[in-house]
Amino acid sequence: MDERAEALAEGLSRYLTRQRRADWTVTGGARIPGGASRETWRFVAGSGGEQHGIIVRIDPETSLIDTDRALEHAAIDAAYRAGIPAPEPLYLEEDASFIGRPFSIMAEVAGCSASAESLPPEHLEKIGEQKWRWLGRIAALDPAELGLESVMTLPDPQACAMEQVDYWAGVIRDDEIHPNPIAEAAVRWLRRNPPPPPQKLSLVHGDYRTGNFLFSPEGEIRAILDWEMAHIGDPLEDLAWSLDPLWSFNQPQLAGQLIPHREAIAHWEAASGLKVDPHAFRWWRVFASVKGIGIWISSSEDYHHGAAKLPILAIAGWLMTDRQERILCDYLSPHSQHLFPEATA
Amino acid sequence: MIPKPGESIAHICARIATDLLPKASDDYAAADLAFLTVMLSMVQQDFERFADVHVREHDEMCAIFRGARDRLPPDLQARVDAVLGHDQDTSLLASALNARADVTTRLLIDVHAWAEGEAGPEAAWDVDLDGEIWRFLDRYAANRTYEAAL
Repeated sequence: MDERAEALAEGLSRYLTRQRRADWTVTGGARIPGGASRETWRFVAGSGGEQHGIIVRIDPETSLIDTDRALEHAAIDAAYRAGIPAPEPLYLEEDASFIGRPFSIMAEVAGCSASAESLPPEHLEKIGEQKWRWLGRIAALDPAELGLESVMTLPDPQACAMEQVDYWAGVIRDDEIHPNPIAEAAVRWLRRNPPPPPQKLSLVHGDYRTGNFLFSPEGEIRAILDWEMAHIGDPLEDLAWSLDPLWSFNQPQLAGQLIPHREAIAHWEAASGLKVDPHAFRWWRVFASVKGIGIWISSSEDYHHGAAKLPILAIAGWLMTDRQERILCDYLSPHSQHLFPEATA
Repeated sequence: MIPKPGESIAHICARIATDLLPKASDDYAAADLAFLTVMLSMVQQDFERFADVHVREHDEMCAIFRGARDRLPPDLQARVDAVLGHDQDTSLLASALNARADVTTRLLIDVHAWAEGEAGPEAAWDVDLDGEIWRFLDRYAANRTYEAAL
C-alpha cells in the first residue's frame, strides 16, 4: 500500500474499532478508477476470523458534482431497504478527524464490473431488460413510504420540471468559462414548452446510466451505484437521462449500449406501471442534455481554475460538452437530420 | 519556437501510452495515464484548429449581425455596432480570440433570444433569422467535434 492508502487504512481501523467495540484492522487499500464525484477506495476489514470487503467513499476536495453526502447515503439506504439492488450502506461519518475528510462506508459487491467496456456481449439483452425494469421499480416506489421526505425536498408537481431547469441553467451560467449558445437556446426551448406535471412524484436516481451499476459476468445487475444526485421528481427525468444518446454515442440505435430504445421503454413501463407521454418525454430528453452540459461545464470549471487536476474532469468538460451540443442540435435545429430518433415515435 | 507542436503532443501521447502506462503501479494510475493521453490528443486537435475556428465563427456571426441589424431593437443595435466596429481587431493570440468570441457569442445568444420572442407582424423574418442562427449553431457544434477513443 502507498502512503495515502496506509494513512486511510489506519484511520478506518480506528473508526471501525470504535464503531464495533472490537479490534478491527483495515488493509489492502486500492483506489477505484472512474469515481469523479467522490474519492472511492476498496479495502478489506478484518476482525477475529472475519473478513469483509468494504467500499469507502471520501468527500473530494472538488468533483464533477457538488452533492450532499447525507442525501446520497439516505437514497442508497432507502433503495436497499426497498429491495432495489444497491450496496449495503454501513456508515456515514461527518467527523473529518479519522481520515481527514467526511466519508461513507458500504459493503463491497464482489466479482462485478461497472464498466461499459466490460459488458458481456452475450448478456446485453439480459442486462438491458434488468436495467430498465429496476429503473421502473424505482419509479414505482413511494418516496413518502421510504421516509425520504425528511431528507429531500418534496417539490410541487406543477413546478418540479421548471425548478430543475432553473437549477441547471444557473449552474451553466455560474460555472461557464465561455458563453454557451446551444445550451442557452435549449434552456429557452425548455421554458417555452413546459411539460405536463408528472404522473407521480418518484425517487429520481439522478445519474442512472450504463457505468453506474455493477453487473456479474453472468449478466446479473447486483448493485446500482452513484446516488449522489438523487431527489424527488418526475420519473421521466431518470428515463430520459438513461436513454440519452451520450451513453451510446457511437451506437445511437441502442440505449446505453444494450438494447433498442423502444424495448427499454417497454420494460420501464411494465415495471413502473406508468405510460410514457411522448410530449413529456421529448421535453425531458432535451432537459437531460441541458443537465449534462451543466455537469460537464461545472467539471471543466473546476479543472481550469485549478480546484482539481483530475484529467477525467477536463475530458468530461471538453468531450462530453462537444457531444451533448451535437445531440441538442440534433433535437432542436430546424435543419437537423435527426440522427438520434425519438424513441417513443 | 517549437517547430511542430502538434506532432510533439502526439509523440508525448504515444510515449505515455506505450512506455509509461504499462508500468503503472495500479489500476487507478493506469486509468489516470490513459485519461491523460486522451486529454493531450484533444489539446492537439484544438491546437491545430483553434485560430481558424475562432476567426471563421467571428466572421459568420458578424455576417448574421449585419443582416439583422436594422430590425433589432436599439440596445441590440448598439451592441452590434460595437462588435462590428472592432471587426478589424485581428490579433490571433488565443487570449485575444477568446475574449472577442465571448463578446460576439453573448451578443448572438441575445439576438437569438430576441428573434424567438418577437413573433409578430415580422414573424416570417424572425423565423428566417432563427433558422440562420441555428445553421450557425450546427456548424459551431461541428467545429468542436473531437476524435477520441472513448
